[in-house]
Order: sequence, then structure tokens, then C-alpha cells
Amino acid sequence: MDRTAWVLSETELRAWLQSLIAGERTVVAPVAEDGMVVYRPLAAAERAVLEPRGKARWSPKEFLFPRTEALYSYSFKGDAVTITDPPPPERPQVLFGVRSCDAAGLARLDEVFLSGRTDPLYAARRESTTVVTAGCAAADPECFCTAVGGSPLGEEAADLQLVPLDDGWLLRVLTLRGDELIGEAAAGWSAAPAGSGERVAALEREVAAQIGRNPVPQEWARVLEGGFASASWDRLAAHCLGCSICAYVCPSCSCFDMNHDANAWCGEQCRSWDACTFVPFTLHASGHNPRATRGERYRQRVLHKFAFTADGEAHFRCVGCGRCVALCPAGLDISQIVTAAAAAIQEEGADAAR
Amino acid sequence: MSDLATSAVRHAGAAAVPDGWQPQIVALVCNWCTYAGADMAGTTRLEYPATVRMVRFPCTGRMSPLMILRAFEQGADGVLVSGCHPGDCHYVQGNLVARRRFTIFRSLMDFLGIDLRRLHFAWVSAAEGHKWARVVKDVSAAVSAAGPLPRPLATDGWEGPVLPAAEGEGPREIPAADSVALRDHLRRTAVELLESGRVGVVIGHRRGSLPGRLVPVMAATAAECRELEWGEGAVNNLVTYAATALKGAEKAALVVKACELHALTGLIREGQIARERLLLVGLQCPGVRPEGGLAAKCLGCSGAPHPACDLLLTPEGVREGGSEAPAAANDDARDRQIAHLESLPADERWLYWQRQFARCLRCYACRAVCPLCYCSTCVADKHRPQWVPTTIDARGNGIWNVIRAMHLAGRCTGCDECARVCPADIRLDLINRKLALEVERQFGAAGLDPGEKAALVDFRMEDPEEFIL
Repeated sequence: MDRTAWVLSETELRAWLQSLIAGERTVVAPVAEDGMVVYRPLAAAERAVLEPRGKARWSPKEFLFPRTEALYSYSFKGDAVTITDPPPPERPQVLFGVRSCDAAGLARLDEVFLSGRTDPLYAARRESTTVVTAGCAAADPECFCTAVGGSPLGEEAADLQLVPLDDGWLLRVLTLRGDELIGEAAAGWSAAPAGSGERVAALEREVAAQIGRNPVPQEWARVLEGGFASASWDRLAAHCLGCSICAYVCPSCSCFDMNHDANAWCGEQCRSWDACTFVPFTLHASGHNPRATRGERYRQRVLHKFAFTADGEAHFRCVGCGRCVALCPAGLDISQIVTAAAAAIQEEGADAAR
Repeated sequence: MSDLATSAVRHAGAAAVPDGWQPQIVALVCNWCTYAGADMAGTTRLEYPATVRMVRFPCTGRMSPLMILRAFEQGADGVLVSGCHPGDCHYVQGNLVARRRFTIFRSLMDFLGIDLRRLHFAWVSAAEGHKWARVVKDVSAAVSAAGPLPRPLATDGWEGPVLPAAEGEGPREIPAADSVALRDHLRRTAVELLESGRVGVVIGHRRGSLPGRLVPVMAATAAECRELEWGEGAVNNLVTYAATALKGAEKAALVVKACELHALTGLIREGQIARERLLLVGLQCPGVRPEGGLAAKCLGCSGAPHPACDLLLTPEGVREGGSEAPAAANDDARDRQIAHLESLPADERWLYWQRQFARCLRCYACRAVCPLCYCSTCVADKHRPQWVPTTIDARGNGIWNVIRAMHLAGRCTGCDECARVCPADIRLDLINRKLALEVERQFGAAGLDPGEKAALVDFRMEDPEEFIL
């Protein structure tokens, strides 16, 4: 039997999902809540929102990099101090029906938390996570994955991939871990017919054609970094209001702040999400702030997504999900700003050369 | 409502009470009256339940709702606030301002589904040792009856209440040809204002990158003015940008919808902006559609430009405005939704808000877009002490959302920007509107007059205080 791809009806897909929920893993999937779609641990398969298009309000990164987590907790009793490590993840988890851009975001988080000095909390969760992506059959107006090297049917960080077809879903195995997740469930499924690969490629071209934004060339990373001192940043960021929607809905933003949540008897050392667009993000205890202006703060965000890469990384940290574009209160569009910044910097360079 | 929902609600209402449980009550007391009163109770050997832990403050006027919220967050089952009788304040009026604040805070907590048996206020003077003992007994009994503070509950699968639809006619539609005429008037006016030197910058809207969405622009050149747009996508309240624009210009023209004018009144009243530095351009408004549908705030609005604007733009042409007519408040289509929430059992309201606050990402977009949120350092960013926990969970989220609402009580002018931008779809508009209604009910109409003080920094000797022990 071919153990690489099947075609599943909606009923078969939901039945499999239900069996996963009944199994040993926590299944996280998009669900509807108060009129919006968010990723939640799933209690019943029918609650999952599995659509050929559209995405959850924010990425599923919080299931690997929680909004807030205790790194350790402590308590005092007399002179004795007890320090306790956080418990390891209780159950392995499946991220089910995440978009390709969301999965690509996990790969970006891996680069931060698993390369060099490994973050043990992130690593433990990542190790016990299986990712089942659901590709897109149509692009939303804010989408631009193809402009930053991604694809609506991208395979990065996916263990299994669901491809929406007119008559159900194509389920493709991409890793051993994905194959393990399927286990014996495939017994009654029909193998994908020959030519499925071409159908997927055709769908990929079709969706990519709907994305109107121009590709961001890889060499702009250097251009942007070279334009660190450009005067254009203040102008480009003039309308930024300094919230952190962009960073918190972003699949790849990984910055955090450390804080104590404590009383006189016990407490926790927590790390919580933080964002470069906030004024206190870089505020020193002395009162000095090295990123004192809106332009400097927004520049950090753009450069961290499109420049500042570690050696050997040949991709942007932006995965092109477009959530920040859709949700920005001031309507800032990072893909347009990158284009405008690169143009302004090249212009300034040309002026200087003259 | 599903069975799941009913059971979740029942669970919230009937938390199991452990054997021998005694309530833990935090009492925030003023130094001059109640603390001395409690001392008097001690020296006269009066007995009262040992359920209260006292924290001494200089004055009830110093007691921010933050302190009450922190007490609950740290596990208190109830909070008692007590200070001098009206007229006895060591600082003349601290307790009178505090009384208004408590009145509003109490109704907010009720709206959010907090059992009011947990929250008490009392006037106890230095001579009233007996009253202190009685108050502690009464409060202790009330908190005991309410039981242990309910912990956050999973609301997964709960369908939640179905709020009645916000209904209203909204502004009259602007035909396509008129829209073009209106836009052209706007562009021409903006260019003239800029080129004549009357203003240094025009704050308006331009086309954004998403279909139908306009974005703010501070246009400083004629070319930028020629790209100004107007229409249903003009969602942003541009008053938020006024202070920024005025840093680089002596005078700014501001494109303003009637609903946003109140925000400007608020800023003028609070000394944040000088009216003469702004030139207000009011346009016939088709209503805004942030997510396809007409915004709730538009349902009761005619869309006519407000006569207080300096220039009034309609498809027919440009007129001088500048009348003194006060801004009239619209009927609010959401009042029915608020009434519906108030008709639900408190436990259900608690679940309703708890689920929304649980989604809060603490992105502070609500603060960033609010024209009235102008503090140079927000209380949420202060960390000595850290009154608002930075943890993005039940600990910090509830406190943030409550204190944000409290800081805007009596000041919020209902532009709904916070609710529009909230990525977690928290109905901040309902909370703000509820508090506006409450301020109006308790202390009279929220003044739209720039000369008037905001309700919560003002007081009257005869302010209502039925709830105070």
C-alpha cells in the first residue's frame, strides 16, 4: 500500500480527527469563538473549522511559545527557599489544520529557540508536537507568502499536509512523525490517484497568481541593513501608533520580557511576550532609551523580519501571512513599507554617489 | 443555550466550599478615620471576625481601583474600602472624589459579573469603633455567603449569550457621483489650506493596501493632498493623530466625523490641545464599515457634518461652519445589548467577559488608538510597583481591561476605535458605553462642554451613596 498520500472525504477526515482527539495527544485546531476563528485544544472534531481558505485570527505559536510561562517558581518558608522547575508537557500535541504560513513561522521560531543555546521549555514542546497543515485553495487580500519565499501549499515544518480539493482533502505524508500520527487509521482510506501531484502544483500556481504583491528580493536584506541610518524610517513609521498587534499575531515574532509575579511568600519568574514597537521594550533602568523614536522602533521590526539574519539563513523571518497588514489599526502594510524603504535607501545611496 | 453552557454557568455559581473555610477580606482604610476607628474598636475590647487584613492609606482618595483589583488577583475573597464621612476628609474632598469613583467602579464590576457581595464601602470615623466592628461582621457575613472567589473557568464550547442586533437607519447613502464630488471638494480644500499657509499639515485619509480600506495620512504636500480619500473605509479616528501632527506644524487641518468631534472636546477640556491650532474639516459621512457592516456607532447618526467644524463639506459644496452649537449625543444602538447583558445572571456575565479577557493579547492597541489615552507613561507600563501584571493571562488581563475602562469612565466619547482594532474582539465598546450611561445616570449628562470638568474628577456633596455602609 502506498503510504504517502490519500484522498479523504470530509467525513473520513473528521472521523480521523475524532480518533486523534480520543487518543493520547492534545489536538489543537482552529475553532469558532465569539464570531472569530482561533486555535484551541479541540474537544470534538465537528468544532474544527477546516476551510479551503481563510486563517485564524492569530498564529498557533502560543502552543509552543506561550504568551506567558513560568521558567521556575519559588517559595519561602522561614529561611528556606524552594525552587521548582515547571512541569514537562503532559501530553504530546498535534497542531491540526494550520496554514502553511503558520507552519513556516514555527520553523522561524525553531531557529531562535533551538539553534545555539537550546531553550529547554520550547524544545520539550516542539519535540512532542506534530504539525498537520491545511493548504490554501484561495488567497486573502492581505496574503503575501509567495512574495517572501513561501507558498500557499508550502511544506516547511509540516509533518502532514492537507490539500483542499473540490471533492475532499488530499492528505500527504511529509515526515516519519506524520506517518506515525496516521498509524493504522489509513486502513480504509483510498490512495491518492495518479496525477495528484499535478493537481497540487496546479492549485499552487492558481493561488499564487491571486497574490498581488511583488516578490521581495533576497538582496534587499543587505540594502535594508545598509540603510539603518536612513532618514526614511521616520517618514515610513509616521503613522505607527505603537501597539503590538503586528508582533503578537505574527507567526515568527519571538521577543519576550522577563518579570516576577510574586508576593511575600511565593512567586514565579515568568517570561511574557513583548514587542519592539513598545516604548519600554528597550528602556534602560537609567531612563535612557536607545530606540527613543517611533521610526527607530518600527525600523527594528522591519529589519528583524527582513534583514538581521544569522549566518546561513537564506530566508526572511516574515512568512507573509499578512495578519499584521489586516489588523494594523493604522493600516500599515509591511510589504509595501519594505519596498518603499528599499527604494528610499537606494535613492539616498545614489544621491550620495552623485 | 447548550447543555454545556448551562452546566458551566452552574459550576461557576456553585464553587465547592471547603470545610472550615473562612473568607479572606482585604480592608483598604484611611489613616485618619477608619484606621483610628479600628484602633478604637480594639482598645474598647470589641470582638469582630478575624477575616479582615487592613492596609492603611492616607485617604480613600488615594485608593485606586487598581488596589482593589490587585487584592482580588492575589486571592482575596472580598474587599472593603473605608474612610472618613463626607465632610470629614483630612484633605477636604478626597473621599468625595473617591465616592464617585467607587460608584462607577462598583457598577463596572457588577456589569462584568463580579458578585457585589464581595465589594463593600463604608464611612467609619475615628470615634466609631462600634461601627467598625459591625461593618466587619456584616461584610464578613456577605463575603461568606458569596463563597470563595471563583477561579477562571474553561469556557470552551460555551455558546455564550446571543445579544440583540444593533439596529438603526444610519446615515443616508451618498450616490457615487456625489462621493466623487465630495472627494474633489476635500482635495481642493486641502490643497488650498496648505498652499495658502493657513495650515502646515492636513490630517486625512488615503487609500490603503487592502480593498475598501482607507488609512490615516498626515499630508504635508499638495501632492499628498491630491491623494486624499473619503468614504465608508475611513474608519480611523484622526483626532488620535492631532498631537503628533502638531509637533511639526503650528496649525493642522483635521478631517473629522461628527462622532469624533467629542474626542476633541475631551482633549480641549483636559488641556491637551488648543482649539485654535486646529482647523476642523467636517464632511458628509456615509457611515463607516470596518468589517463590511455599518459600525454600531453609525446606526443612530445622520452623517451630516457637525456645524462646529470650521469648514463643512457636502456634495453640494464647501461652507463655512464654526457655529457654537453643542455636539448632540446620538441614540445608541447598543443600549439594548447592554440591557440584555444586565438581564442575565451575574455568573453568565462573568463567563461572557472572562472568555473575552482570556483572549486579550495585551497588545495595547485599545490604548494606542484611543484619542483620550495620552498619558506619557501608561499605568500598565509603570513597574515600581507593578500594579498591572505583565503576564498575559487571567492575572494581568482582567486588571488591564478594568483599569482601562475606569480611566475612561466619564471621559470616553464613544468613537469605538478600541473595539474596532481589538484583535481579540473584546466588546470594549459595550464596557465604555455602559460606564458612560452609568456616569450620566448617577452624575448627570456627561458634559460635551469644554469648560466643564470630567465627571470623575468632580463631585457634589449630595452625590448618591446608597451602597455605602
